[in-house]
Amino acid sequence: MNSLHIRYAVFFLVALLLQATLVKFIQIFTWRPDLVLIVLVTYSLREGPNKGMTAGFIVGLLQDLVSTHFIGLSALSKTLTGFVAGSLSGKFTSRAEFFLTLLIGGLVNDLTYFFVYTLGENFSLQSLIILYTIPNVMYTVLLGGFLYYLMETWVSE
Amino acid sequence: MNNILSLFSRRGSLFLLALYITLSVLLMNFNDPETLRGIRIVVMRAASWITSVEHKLVFLEHLQQENEVLRKRNLDLFMSNQRLQEVMIENIRLRRLLQFKREGNFKYISANVVGFGEEQTVRSLILNVGAVDSVRKNMAVVNDQGLVGKIYSVDTHQSIAQILMDRNTLVSARLQKSREVGVVAWSGNLWLDLNYIPKDIPVEIGESVITSGLSRIYPHGIKVGVVGEVKDDKYALFKEIKIKPAVNFNSLEEVFILVPADSLAAEGSPDE
Repeated sequence: MNSLHIRYAVFFLVALLLQATLVKFIQIFTWRPDLVLIVLVTYSLREGPNKGMTAGFIVGLLQDLVSTHFIGLSALSKTLTGFVAGSLSGKFTSRAEFFLTLLIGGLVNDLTYFFVYTLGENFSLQSLIILYTIPNVMYTVLLGGFLYYLMETWVSE
Repeated sequence: MNNILSLFSRRGSLFLLALYITLSVLLMNFNDPETLRGIRIVVMRAASWITSVEHKLVFLEHLQQENEVLRKRNLDLFMSNQRLQEVMIENIRLRRLLQFKREGNFKYISANVVGFGEEQTVRSLILNVGAVDSVRKNMAVVNDQGLVGKIYSVDTHQSIAQILMDRNTLVSARLQKSREVGVVAWSGNLWLDLNYIPKDIPVEIGESVITSGLSRIYPHGIKVGVVGEVKDDKYALFKEIKIKPAVNFNSLEEVFILVPADSLAAEGSPDE
């Protein structure tokens, strides 16, 4: 494992811990940014779909462990997100690439999660998307630009 | 040659993707959180440590302010206590007359919310009390506003609470005025639903909804919320009632766990 992967492993662990603890301080109404998603999209853009989905699977599994829902749900959604984000690497102009990929990755992540979460249940998927997915993804994209700059600066050093 | 390598690489990616999806689905099917309990505990402890540091920093800043508020509240409570003692004596006398059993005999365990679960919709709560504090699975969790949820899993020093805004939480509840019993559930909105209330039962906006006491988990009389919206569909058997939760789940910092005095262990009892 080279230093790049070690640095990203640190990013993922810090993002997981902050997501579970200090993100509540920047919460607006019920909307919270997804720090893990930001790190995953950054890593997948840099390393491609194979490493992206592997990282997504591992980090999703860790998220499942501190939740009350069934294990495997976040692993699945984050795997697909890592794959899609890695596959989109180089598809957009460099300036817009991160934001567009984060937007698409966020939608893939949430839609997969909610689709499986509500499967076979009499559940309002539409309201979940309007109330949570869209605001959460927008908030994540806004914050993502700043964190992306910080991570890339540190990794490039 | 490059085309062949590219095709192989693309197929390799799809094979890997299929492998991870299969693994995820298998994990969902063979779901046994107890076997992965060790890792869950490590993550919970890390989250608890970070929040405890942050709590200590904030603690000193709020201490003086909190002290002043508590002094005033103490005076208010003293006055209320005097009045309540009179009411309790009267209540005891009336209960004896009606031969009612005494209810609500609980011990409270105070707990701090040290973290949130990782769900995207709602947060389960990580609490800083565990088995050594007599916390057991399926104990009710409340705060001064009303019902928060129940204990989902317990570690030695931490526990996870499942809040009302989780699709797996069902609560047997009663309309305070009509005394009609229904089931409170969450369906993905900002409010809760009160189901199975017949159409001929009058329901008022603002009417309180309390726990029915028919459950082994939630004792009688804890406020769940107030009626915010009532709809009558002429083809439906029941009213469509939306409840505004009594508890503000976004600002939870301290909660109380109810420990039944007669039976500390509620472990293993099924959900409602």
